[in-house]
Amino acid sequence: MRQGTIKPPSWVRAISLVSNMFGVIAATMIMASVLITCQMIFVRGVLGQSTIWQTEAVIYLMIAATLIGLPYVQHQRGHVGVDLIPGLLPPSMRRLLAFAVLFLTLLMVGVMTFYGWEMFHLAWSRNWKSETVWAVPLWIPYLSVPLGFGVFALQLASDLWLAAKSDGAQLETTVHGISPDGENL
Amino acid sequence: EELRLSHQWAEGDVRHQVAQMVADDVANAGVDLTIQIFPNQTLFKAREQYTPLSRGQLDMTVLPLSYAGGQQPAYNLTLMPGLVRNHDHAARLSHSPFMDKLTEIMAGDDVMVLVHGYLAGGFGSNKGCITKPEDVSGISIRAAGKSFEQMLAGAGASISSMASSEIYPALQTGVLDATNTSSESFVSYRLYEQLKCYTPAGDTALWFMYQPLLMNKSTFDGLNAEQQAALMSAAEKAEAFYLEQAKLGDDVARQAFANAGVEIAEMSPEDFEAWRKLASETAYPAFVAETPDGQMLLDLALAVE
Amino acid sequence: MEPLTIGLMVAFATVVVLFTGISVGTGLLVVATGFLLIFDGARSLQALPEIFFGELNSFALLSIPMFIIMGAAIASTRAGPDLYEALERWLTRVPGGLVVSNLGACALFAAMSGSSPATCAAIGKMGIPEMRRRGYPEEVAAGSIAAGGTLGILIPPSVTMIVYGIATETSIGRLFLAGVLPGLLLTGLFMVWAIYDTWRRGAASAVLSGARYSWRERVEILPRVVPFIAIIIGVLYAMYGGIATPSETAAVGALLCIAVAIVVYRMYRAADLWVVLRDSTRESVMILFIIGAAGVFSFMLSSLFVTQSVAQWIAALEVNRWVLMAVINLFLLVAGFFLPPVAVILMSAPILLPIITSAGFDPYWFAVIVTINMEIGLITPPVGLNLYVINGIAPDISLRKILVGSLPFVLCMALAIVILCIFPGLATWLPEAVMGEAI
Ligand code: NA
Ligand code: NA
Repeated sequence: MRQGTIKPPSWVRAISLVSNMFGVIAATMIMASVLITCQMIFVRGVLGQSTIWQTEAVIYLMIAATLIGLPYVQHQRGHVGVDLIPGLLPPSMRRLLAFAVLFLTLLMVGVMTFYGWEMFHLAWSRNWKSETVWAVPLWIPYLSVPLGFGVFALQLASDLWLAAKSDGAQLETTVHGISPDGENL
Repeated sequence: EELRLSHQWAEGDVRHQVAQMVADDVANAGVDLTIQIFPNQTLFKAREQYTPLSRGQLDMTVLPLSYAGGQQPAYNLTLMPGLVRNHDHAARLSHSPFMDKLTEIMAGDDVMVLVHGYLAGGFGSNKGCITKPEDVSGISIRAAGKSFEQMLAGAGASISSMASSEIYPALQTGVLDATNTSSESFVSYRLYEQLKCYTPAGDTALWFMYQPLLMNKSTFDGLNAEQQAALMSAAEKAEAFYLEQAKLGDDVARQAFANAGVEIAEMSPEDFEAWRKLASETAYPAFVAETPDGQMLLDLALAVE
Repeated sequence: MEPLTIGLMVAFATVVVLFTGISVGTGLLVVATGFLLIFDGARSLQALPEIFFGELNSFALLSIPMFIIMGAAIASTRAGPDLYEALERWLTRVPGGLVVSNLGACALFAAMSGSSPATCAAIGKMGIPEMRRRGYPEEVAAGSIAAGGTLGILIPPSVTMIVYGIATETSIGRLFLAGVLPGLLLTGLFMVWAIYDTWRRGAASAVLSGARYSWRERVEILPRVVPFIAIIIGVLYAMYGGIATPSETAAVGALLCIAVAIVVYRMYRAADLWVVLRDSTRESVMILFIIGAAGVFSFMLSSLFVTQSVAQWIAALEVNRWVLMAVINLFLLVAGFFLPPVAVILMSAPILLPIITSAGFDPYWFAVIVTINMEIGLITPPVGLNLYVINGIAPDISLRKILVGSLPFVLCMALAIVILCIFPGLATWLPEAVMGEAI
């Protein structure tokens, strides 16, 4: 529905596919954390057994779901923003600002991806573990940082391409497309 | 020159006071060095301080060293049941060949110790009193530290992992039967309102946690001789204060529980030996298995009289 | 440079950057990174992902996606219309009965949803068309739902209360309890206004709401609200009956709501469940991203000593504590106009709380004051999330009409703040009665 009149090239469609896939993974992770938490309550309360790994597992699942979900939410225009200044500008300036915003976002997400990779790599190469009995290798949860921000960056690049090819009105929805239901706080 | 010190505690806490003492003494020494303290996790979160310290993004911290046990398994010896009997023993451990080995490991991460210090803790329960291993069989407990979890699981307790802030409601509603943490946390979380029996740290205690004031080594080496001397002399003074306050903290907790009408139980030397035996079958082998030179480090620690 | 000067620059930069339409999370990251680079050099950049990760590394935050799932699962079923229908059959004889029953439905739904726009959407989808069909003025229909929806974050569970609890290290269970009576108070004020407004328009109840229900019809509908009551009781039992800790309760609630949706409302098609999960995921990710980014932002403020300096500056102001409270309220109100609640709370609560407590105010009472301010923010421009929701449900009602309709309810909220200032016990009594004195 967003693609309008221009048929997007295959790389744009591929990124969109990956973003959607990441959305499914994130949703699965959130659902898994609901079930694991309930399993923990059951094991502790009814079976009276130790619950060693559940708390940690659900925290990492939630963090990973957040990061892995970032490109999906960008794809769905689900990130909330305040478009006060664009509303005050003439259309040509608005288009310029929209480009600047997308570019700045891409830059920021790129920085997070780079240092996120470093964070992952350090934990991986030095075999860091969480300081619990479960002792999860930290590179596993840390991997979600470069992965989530990385694909988020790709999604932004693809949005930037779409914005460049499209007319002004479409750019508007690319940058601050607030869809009415779903953005809840 | 300004150094940044981060820690997780409130400003009334003994660990803040230790940091503040060092900061004040260094400032008064007039060597053009100030220490800016960020208490209450206002800069880095409690468990996120070791990495920035080791990378030089943070200059100093007061940290339970076992928090970094996932990076350096050897640090898990600083929160190990049965290694420390009481505060004087802890002070001897802080200046022993065992600590020299830990210092070497820390140096590998570009970290050094300025002020040594151990804090003790006890057990609190709603299902009888906890003094010996049999007392925890079949109860639901939240323990502080992975080695303690391994030992308590070995005694037949069911371990629940949860944030320390949830201990109070969990004890209140019966999700938990018992808990084990530091004397300071027992008081600051007002657990005496929810517990029926308290086993404080006394002449013999099981739970000791090494919580030194750490500094980035390169930052220290980059200071001039006067600045280093001022830091070291401030640290020495603070260490004596820390030891004294650590003993007082146990008494404060004991008194708070007694005032709240909670039954007070004592751990005897025989109980301590029973726990230590249990630990040598559970927590110690687990430690040795995951740690390079684990047996040697454990032996060094156990050798301290 | 003086930390306070840096603080002013940060405030200015944040406002400008956020108003460009950049997503709130990224905007906060950009400002934080920029100031760290300028005033602290490149050394902090390396730590950014770890700070982001560390901020989210908390079990309590897990309840945010769970409470969102709770609301979404129930909202996707017939439960909302059922509840609404039941209330309507019982309240038709009251002047403005339809508005009153919508508000009641909002309040009840709020007891299951942690989010305001979710509450707004769940009741509004049925309520707004129905009110318009029965001849209620458009502004009344839209305004009452927009305002009623805000109850979602005051009546527990509440996503913003969770965030407040984490930011200030206060008990979330206690915060939830603190919101109960003020939530009922606000519901009551809303209803009183709705009744008065309808009466003022010429005792219009008979004309506006034509339907008449027999007692038989009224009793018949009651079983349909049983699932609601069962969920609420189940969650309360889990929380206070020794089953789960406050943070774990959310998972019980989410599972219960999904189970009720499947078993009672026959929502067993995978596609339907996927829609619930997809929408919850999108919403949770958006909120949690803002939370992580706000963690980086507050690291920057703390690192450059801005937070501490601002706190010292306010604490040094020698003013009467009520003047202080009025100033803080004004600040929260203005911040709420522009920013989503989670962002406002994360950035201001840690600074404000020490000031509040040293001035002798109760942190749980203050949480309620903050929340009501945030509720106002939800129905005021330029960033009023509930306004967008209403706009989505009824695109033909102009934003101006929604605003006009919400305005009286904003005044009700202001009145509620005043009442809470006079009777702070409304917020503090229940937590103390249930959980003992605060830690
Ligand atoms: Na709610
Ligand atoms: Na607003």
